Amino acid sequence: MTNLDHGKFSRATTMFHSLLALTVFVLFFTGYAIAFNTELWWLVELMGGNEGVLSIHRAAGFSLIALTGFWVPYMLLRSSSRSNFRSVLPSPDDARAFLQDVKFALGWADERHPSARQFAGFKADEVPLLSYVGKGVIWIFTVELILLMISGLLIWRKTWLIDFYNSQSVAMAFVAFHGLLGIIMLMGVMFHTFEHGFHPAFYPVEMKAFLPKDMTPNFHGDPDEYETTGIERLRRKPSWRWATNVVAVLVVVGVVSVMMASLEYGGYPVPDTLAFGEGSVLRTIGINAGIFVLLLGLVLSMYGNVLRARYVSRRDQRATGAATDGGEPSETKRSSSEPRSDGGEVSGANRSTSDPRSDGGEVSETNRSAADHGSTDPNDD
Amino acid sequence: MSQGVMSTGEGMRIFPDVEACIDCGGCVVACKRTWDREIQNQRIDITTMAEGVAGPQGENADKTGRLEAGENPGETSLPMQCYHCENAPCVSVCPTNALQKEDDGFVAVHEDLCVGCQYCLSGCPFGAPQFPDSDDGSAQIFGTGGIMDKCTGCRERQEVQKGPACAEECATDAILVGGAGEIADELEQRGSQPFFNDEAMEVIFGAEDAQLFQTDQQEQ
Repeated sequence: MTNLDHGKFSRATTMFHSLLALTVFVLFFTGYAIAFNTELWWLVELMGGNEGVLSIHRAAGFSLIALTGFWVPYMLLRSSSRSNFRSVLPSPDDARAFLQDVKFALGWADERHPSARQFAGFKADEVPLLSYVGKGVIWIFTVELILLMISGLLIWRKTWLIDFYNSQSVAMAFVAFHGLLGIIMLMGVMFHTFEHGFHPAFYPVEMKAFLPKDMTPNFHGDPDEYETTGIERLRRKPSWRWATNVVAVLVVVGVVSVMMASLEYGGYPVPDTLAFGEGSVLRTIGINAGIFVLLLGLVLSMYGNVLRARYVSRRDQRATGAATDGGEPSETKRSSSEPRSDGGEVSGANRSTSDPRSDGGEVSETNRSAADHGSTDPNDD
Repeated sequence: MSQGVMSTGEGMRIFPDVEACIDCGGCVVACKRTWDREIQNQRIDITTMAEGVAGPQGENADKTGRLEAGENPGETSLPMQCYHCENAPCVSVCPTNALQKEDDGFVAVHEDLCVGCQYCLSGCPFGAPQFPDSDDGSAQIFGTGGIMDKCTGCRERQEVQKGPACAEECATDAILVGGAGEIADELEQRGSQPFFNDEAMEVIFGAEDAQLFQTDQQEQ
C-alpha cells in the first residue's frame, strides 16, 4: 500500500476541482487573448473574435466568485470538511520538511524529509498524504485567486473606481496588478499541470483528483499480500518519457520566455509603463507555449472526468451482475474482473505483472528496473 | 475658415487656448450637429475649473483658502477632447490595438477591434474616450463599456481642407488646429500660456515639439 492508492479528495472536492479548473481556464484563455492580443490572435479568432471575449471573461469571473462563494461556507460549515481544512494548514513539520529538502537539493543533507517522500518506499500511514508542496500549491492558488477576484472586481467598472478614488491612475494600477498576477498564476498553473499530469506514477492524469476517495479502492486485491509499499509494481507507460520531455520543454520555455519578455518593459517585475500590443518574438513564444500547456491541462481535466465516468459505469455494471446471479460474485470471478479506477479490467493472470494503476495505465517490464535500482522516488526522477 | 485653424490634414494638432475659452458650448453643439451623435455621446466636453472653490470630493474638497483670503482667482474652461497625441497613452494601453496612431497623425478607433475594456479611459489624461453604448444590453450586464467612441479630429473634413467642426464654430478661436510650430506661434502672439505641464505637453506633442512651447515660456 502506498499513498498512490489513497483517495485524495471528497466527492464535492472533485467536483469543485473540475469546475474551478474549467472557470480558471476560461478566464486564462479570454484574459490572455485580451492582454496579449497580438501574440494570441489565433485564440481570439477561435473564440469568435474580439466581440464577446470580454463578456465571456467577466461571466467566467462571476462564475468563479459564485463557485468560491459556495465552496468556502461549505468547507467551513461541514464538520468533515473542517477536518479536511485543518489538514491543509501549514505545520512546523512542513517548515522542517521544506528546510531539509532545500538542504538536500544543496547537497547538505543525505535524504529528503520523510514528509516529502510519499512515493519513496513509505507506506501511507507513515507519511502525510499532503506534503508541504501540496499545501503550498493550495495556499498559493488560494491567495492568487482571491487577489485576482478582488482586483478583477475593482477594474470591472473603471468609471466607478475612477470616481471613487478621483484618480485614473488607480484604475491603471489595478489593471497592471491584475495582469501581473495573471502572469504569475499562469506560470503556477503550468507547473501544476506538469507536476500532476506527468508524474511517472500518474501519467497522463492523477485520478485521485477526479475520483472521490469513497470510491477509490485502497487496495487492488488482498491487502495482506502487500508487505511492501508496492512502489516496485509501478511502471511507466511507454509514451511517458517523450511526452514528459515535450511538455517539460514547453513549461520551461513558457515560464522563462514570459519572465524574460517582461524585462522588455523595464522595472521588472512591475513594469514602468503599461504597454500592450507592441509584439515580441520572445513573448509570442512564451505566451503561446503557456496557452498550449493550459489547453493540455484542460484536456487532461476533461479526460480525468471521462475516466471517472467509465470507472463508475464499470463498477455499477459489476454490481448489477452480482444481483442477477442472485448472490455475491465468486472470488475467482471477482479477481478475474477487478475494475480499475479508469474503468478498465485487469485479468487475474496479468495481475502479478501488471498491477492496475489508478489511472488505468499499464507499463512495460523494462521500466520496472527503475524501481529496482533504487530510484523509487519519482520526485527524484 | 476660423482664425484658430491654421493648417489641416497630415501633421495637424488640436490644442486648446484655455484663456480664450468661455464655456459657450458652441464646439459641443457643432460636433453633435456635424456627426449626428446621440444625446449621451459627447466627443468634446468643456470642463470648467473654478480656482479656489472646493471640489465635491477628493483632493480639491477643502482647498478654498484663496477665496477665504478674499482673492478672486477666476476660472478656467478647458475643451476636453482628443488631442491626437504624439505619444498617445490610449494607444499604448489598448490591448487589442483598437486604437492606432495613423501615419497622418490622427489617433483612430478601429471599432471592430474594440472589446470595451475601458483601459483607454484609464490611460487618457484628457477624458477623450467615451462609451455611449455602456448602458445597452450585454454591455450593461457585463460592464464592458461597449465600443469606444471619441473625437475623430473631423478627419474627413480635414482631408478636404476644412477645419474640425468644433474649431470652425468656436466664437473665440479657443480651439487651435495646425502644426506644433503654428500653435506655439499663435499662443505666443496671443500672449497665452499652454495649460498643461511639461509631461502632458510631451504626451501631446512629443519631446521634441514640446520644446517649442517651453522655449516660448522661457523667453517670456
